[in-house]
Amino acid sequence: MQAKRFTLNNPPCGRTRREFLWETGGGFAGLALIDLLSSDGFFGRAEGASADGKPPVLLAPKLPHFPTRAKHVIFFFMNGGPSHVDLFDPKPALTKYNGTPYKGKVKVGSNNRAIGYLMQSPFEFKKHGQSGLEISSVYPHLSRFADDLCVIRSLYTDTAAHASGNIQMNTGNVIIGRPSLGSWLSYGLGTMGNDLPGFVVMTDPRGGPIGGTSNWTAGFMPAAYQGTLFRSKGDPLLNLATPEDVSDRTQRHSLNLLQRLNRKHLKNREQESELAARIHSYELAYRMQTTASEVVDVDKESEQTREMYGLNNRLTADFGRKCLIARRLIEKGVRFVQLYSGGGHGPETWDGHVDCIKNHSLHGYETDQPMAGLIEDLKRTGLWEETLLIWGGEFGRTPTSEGVGKPGRDHNWLGFSMWLAGAGVKGGQAIGATDELGFEAVESPYHVSDLHATVLHLMGLDHTKLTYFYHGLEERLTGQRGQVIEGALA
Amino acid sequence: MFHRFGLLLVFSISAAMAGSRDLPLPAPDGVDFSEQVEPILRDRCFACHGANVQLSGLRLDERGHALKGGDSGLPSVIPGDSAQSLLIRTVAGLDPDRVMPKTGDRLTSEEIGLLRAWIDAGADYTETAESSPLANGKDHWSFQPLTSPPVPAVRNAGWVRNPIDAFVLAKLEARGWKPSPPAGPEALLRRIHVDLIGLPPTPQEHQEFLKQNSPEAFDRLIGELLNRPGYGERWGRHWLDVVRYAESNGYERDATKPEVWKYRDYVIRSFNQDKPYNRFILEQLAGDELEDATAETHIAMGFNRLGPWDDEPADFDQDRFDQLDDVVRTTSEAFLGLTMGCARCHDHKFDPLTQKDYYGMVALFNGLRRSQNGRREVSLPVGDRDQLAGQGQGSDRIKELEAQIDKLREDFRIELLRSGGSGLPEEAVAALLEDFKKRTEEQKGLAIKYTSEMIAKTAEALPPELVDRIAELEAEIAEVRRSTPELDRGYYLYESKPPEVVHVLMRGRAASPGEVAVPALPEALVTSQPAFSTKGNSSGRRLALARWIANPENPLTARVLVNRVWQQHLGRGLVRTGGDFGIMGDRPSHPELLDWLASRFIQEGWSLKKLHTLIMTSNTYRMGKTPVAEYLEADPENRFLWRVHYRRLEAEAIRDSMLAASGQLNRKMYGPSMVPPIPEAALEGHPDPDKIWHTSNEREASRRTVYAFIKRSMLIPMLEVLDLCDTTRSSAQRPVTSIAPQALTLFNGDFANGQALHMARRVLEKVGPDPAAQVDLVYRLALSRSPTPDEHREMVDFLNQETEADLWETRARDRDRLVAREASLVQLCRVVFNLNEFVYPN
Repeated sequence: MQAKRFTLNNPPCGRTRREFLWETGGGFAGLALIDLLSSDGFFGRAEGASADGKPPVLLAPKLPHFPTRAKHVIFFFMNGGPSHVDLFDPKPALTKYNGTPYKGKVKVGSNNRAIGYLMQSPFEFKKHGQSGLEISSVYPHLSRFADDLCVIRSLYTDTAAHASGNIQMNTGNVIIGRPSLGSWLSYGLGTMGNDLPGFVVMTDPRGGPIGGTSNWTAGFMPAAYQGTLFRSKGDPLLNLATPEDVSDRTQRHSLNLLQRLNRKHLKNREQESELAARIHSYELAYRMQTTASEVVDVDKESEQTREMYGLNNRLTADFGRKCLIARRLIEKGVRFVQLYSGGGHGPETWDGHVDCIKNHSLHGYETDQPMAGLIEDLKRTGLWEETLLIWGGEFGRTPTSEGVGKPGRDHNWLGFSMWLAGAGVKGGQAIGATDELGFEAVESPYHVSDLHATVLHLMGLDHTKLTYFYHGLEERLTGQRGQVIEGALA
Repeated sequence: MFHRFGLLLVFSISAAMAGSRDLPLPAPDGVDFSEQVEPILRDRCFACHGANVQLSGLRLDERGHALKGGDSGLPSVIPGDSAQSLLIRTVAGLDPDRVMPKTGDRLTSEEIGLLRAWIDAGADYTETAESSPLANGKDHWSFQPLTSPPVPAVRNAGWVRNPIDAFVLAKLEARGWKPSPPAGPEALLRRIHVDLIGLPPTPQEHQEFLKQNSPEAFDRLIGELLNRPGYGERWGRHWLDVVRYAESNGYERDATKPEVWKYRDYVIRSFNQDKPYNRFILEQLAGDELEDATAETHIAMGFNRLGPWDDEPADFDQDRFDQLDDVVRTTSEAFLGLTMGCARCHDHKFDPLTQKDYYGMVALFNGLRRSQNGRREVSLPVGDRDQLAGQGQGSDRIKELEAQIDKLREDFRIELLRSGGSGLPEEAVAALLEDFKKRTEEQKGLAIKYTSEMIAKTAEALPPELVDRIAELEAEIAEVRRSTPELDRGYYLYESKPPEVVHVLMRGRAASPGEVAVPALPEALVTSQPAFSTKGNSSGRRLALARWIANPENPLTARVLVNRVWQQHLGRGLVRTGGDFGIMGDRPSHPELLDWLASRFIQEGWSLKKLHTLIMTSNTYRMGKTPVAEYLEADPENRFLWRVHYRRLEAEAIRDSMLAASGQLNRKMYGPSMVPPIPEAALEGHPDPDKIWHTSNEREASRRTVYAFIKRSMLIPMLEVLDLCDTTRSSAQRPVTSIAPQALTLFNGDFANGQALHMARRVLEKVGPDPAAQVDLVYRLALSRSPTPDEHREMVDFLNQETEADLWETRARDRDRLVAREASLVQLCRVVFNLNEFVYPN
């Protein structure tokens, strides 16, 4: 199953590449390997392929609507719905009413489950940093960066279900088929690095998010803008590896022939930009093989860095690896990286219906050190100045348990928390508030579309002007809604 | 009464005199009702003065009422005079005794300014008068009746094979241009094959055809290909793009739509039978309401049910309208090229389609219901009217008989319990006799505990006469079952009772109903509304709609369809926006040609095959692709049709062409979809990677791509990356992108490499070890031409070099020359599948 990968550093038969080529070249006459010897220009960039610069038009870098600091986004998606009252939204009243049935009017929860009994958070909240931002004991490492986080405690969405919730958080609408946030950013800003996709998604080893590819689709936009699944282990991209029974030399020999024939075909057809673009895409694919493989090769990182991301701990290794790769991706110019924590269904995700305490202890632990490690590393490398971080899930959870002595919490879409941090964000604060118990956003409530408007704004885009004309409408990520959350801006 | 009126009048005038200068100024730049004014009225006024509640008799959601005013008898809104309008005076708080709104914050100066500007401009409740799409949209070209333009005269009459050429040439000659020379016979042969059946000609077909190469031979070839089953598979797929075909619902469970593949088969069959397009429309929109409804026309009705469906919607009322929106939107785009969906929340910004028109359309479909069992969808029986009626009677009779049996048993059970003959403990008897809903917690427990024992005792004690009676009834049920034949099943929405009333929804929200919307066709497009006559259980509304669409007088239907066909043949439509013939859509490059084609299409009985023949027998279609620098400079988009331009094959045609060239293509038609293998890595993006993908065996998976399973949460990566259409909405044209993942897919992917291996073995078997013969056959199989001497030399060199290098490289291993030769040939096939010429035919 494990296919070989084509890398320049991996010469056939253990010899250096130059030795090999010399030997083969000398071994039998007429073997035209000249092109291979100039292999760093293997695809002959100068020749024909991208003569008119046409190919990357869709993804060419574009200027934002206004100057801004943020160039990249890393979105930590806590799949399943993390509980705000156990993480970022302390509710002393829950301690007071712990165990009593909820008699209020707010109707949340899913699938007609009983609304249940108020349940205090078992996690201790403490004030952190100079700002005194309150964060629960689920996130001890992250708490070190409290002064960088802007927690929005008053978000709400339109749905109680995972599928439509994920899809709304990612595309702005509960109905499938619309372009995702990453697609809008790719469309609006293009990519900066040529050798990698501009919009990368890394899912959890336990499975993808509910809704599948609808979560990173480009919808009605061209496929160039859709999210690309990137694996943190093995071959990072689909079909990146050379087929199993093909040697590196053969791979190059064949590619070489292909491009030579395609370039001959292009003669007398120089004006056909689509043909030139296609030649260019093979060149890009070739470079992608090398670049993408290098990006996931985190063994090159220092032991200290690996430790910082939690790579040496069984529970944090996976998310840590993804966080580290996220840094390496944005270093290469990738615009939007989305990392999923939790996959599949139920306890495999943040969907703590049965035991929210156990659930969040686990998933919180898995993500805490890796995220803190990433923040520290971004600050160390200076990427912090140009990277926007988003943390959150498709909704929050109820302040109630689903029964007495059953520490599970149900879905709550009327009030929940997310945070922003990094470039352009005013950290060390909490914006808005839910009610006394944490059911409903009551102070400065913000809809998902407001969050989207804010993210676009931080990336230098006006959400009312970033439009795509389709089927008679100037479509927007925020539909007819959306207002920038001014308080979140630095 | 008189006094009160008089008093109020006096008050009103005096207040007006007193406070005008205290009013905020009207907004200076003009206002948009639906964007700026309606939201204020809706949020702040309609709760008390709207469709549902009219405090003080005042209603502000309709212009007539607002002008008339409420109980005071004074107009609330005086168009052209905001300062005197009661609405403004109350919201501005000029009179402390009557300040509006009574709850919440006062309106801001800015909001009042917007209301003033709107009233001053005439208080139009739709759009600002001067930009009203209704006012000027009716003149739009596509809404005008079809014409039959005369065929123009041209100088170079020799080039004209049929009237299409005359229309095209006349435009070229007007610019002093000449059409491109015809494509070479090999290029044309491949073009015609791929275009009509989505597959390249076989080497035998290639060889035989070139012997008789002539324009007339091509004409005969077109006729022959149109009669092959591959035609429906190719052109049916184009239609599936238009109708958002997919086989699952999307969302969390993403359940497979039961029997939906029968709709796909229906489409393929309809194309192959050359079903008249007007009939095709009737069957899909109203197959259940037709006099001659059949199983087939019910399956055709699947059109209405193909969209995504959330089995767990956030808001059931809103979801109902989302589902109706899917149908209205798809119907209007697919058949009419109208973006009706834009009028859901407000009047169409550009086209003469009002929000009322939209909800009039919604009302046409509002009778449709989804057959489901909780979250699980169920299919429905299909058949003609008698069969379905028989089925219905049969199942009614069975239900009745089953109810009789249940009653006999139930009566006896109660009697047994009451008489104490059951032998159960007393409290258990009491619990079991108690009404289900009234049982105490304790009784609930007892009831659960003793239910099975009670059933056993009842069965034991059943007296013989009851046993006999039940047996008689059961025998009758069996007889009814036997005499009611099992009907085939299909996937469609049904109507069984009169549709509920539809309201115009403010801002498209189900929670904000406005005035009633009667079922209607778009006002601007009709002179009179049709009569709706009930068809059995059905309202007959969809049939009326379908008849209007399929009517030869409809200005849009035929134009939209011939444009779609033209687009598939020539790469781009005469109107480039195939799904939008509205004001924001493209204008036709050749309006006369479009009308001539549309009129001819209708005259010839809405026959698609005749339309294909007409287009493909023209010299226009047969032009070559060579560019002329001067023309390219002036018309890079080829709007004048001076040549045929390059275009990439669709994902399906690429995959099918590989299968054809490799010899693996399985021509099995119809039936449930096949599930091709996809990379495990792709499944990692799905929440249920182990459950959703039950890969077919290789033979089954080698069927044509139109039979591949289209799952909304897991699109087949190879198709998706090669620009498969949007599967959630009607798609008029597919984008063509050139991105690196496509190169990775076609060069490294399992499918392409697997087919390269099959093709190499096929070639070896056919021509043996001679590299020269191998190269020749590979070219003919994949590119439908022989290689040029230069290409031939290059390919043979490659085979030799690759074989030698392979042998050298692997000399430590036990591998003979034949194996190395085969491996080299596989590489050659792999390269050919990746050539630009393979996916961009000449």
